[in-house]
Amino acid sequence: MSEKTKFWILLALLLLSLALAVVLNTNLNKALLGS
Amino acid sequence: MSKINNLLLTLIIAVNAYLILAPVLPAIFFHVGKYTGEQQRLQKMIKAPTGTRSSPASSQPNQVIIPSMLLDQPILEGPESQQYKILDKGIWRFQWSSTPDKGGNTVLIGHRFTYTNPRGVFYFLNKVSLGDDIGVVWNNRHYVYQVVTINEVPPNDTAIEKATPNPELTLFTCTPLWLPKDRLVVVADLETKS
Repeated sequence: MSEKTKFWILLALLLLSLALAVVLNTNLNKALLGS
Repeated sequence: MSKINNLLLTLIIAVNAYLILAPVLPAIFFHVGKYTGEQQRLQKMIKAPTGTRSSPASSQPNQVIIPSMLLDQPILEGPESQQYKILDKGIWRFQWSSTPDKGGNTVLIGHRFTYTNPRGVFYFLNKVSLGDDIGVVWNNRHYVYQVVTINEVPPNDTAIEKATPNPELTLFTCTPLWLPKDRLVVVADLETKS
């Protein structure tokens, strides 16, 4: 696997992790304000 | 390119480690606080007569103190349009509810858990039991409430926010902790004010 391919895979994984953090943070409190 | 890939891998590990470990941190702080006598200190704080904490001339921030869940946090004010920003910072007094000095129903809302500081001010609201004391400092006056009911209601049940004839305090947050679908509601009646 070329370094360039690894870079794109790792970048995608990092973005997925950050998205997961945002989703978790939002969903953990979704019942608070009746939303 | 190899160095950049190593940096990305480190970032991925760091972000995911934080996602997994951050929810455990409040539990660690809670148990440390129990061993260091924090609960007794807070209990004394809310039972102390007026004047022993600060001189009457000094201004104390509005705050809520719950010894059984080791909570000592300021009460934040603001319009409903800014509720999300305020709740990210701590406990929000529901704008349309009363205040301790006016009597009626004072409603305080807080997150159960967030990945940012403070990591869920009401994380341990489930540790509160019937009969527990809750202290509130409001406009330099001290109010002590006693927990009378604890229940869970769906998020669309707005009856918990309604005005009441008697002075009481309503606290609510999300429940259960990891798959929140309801609200955990703690209601306390006014016991003393000084």
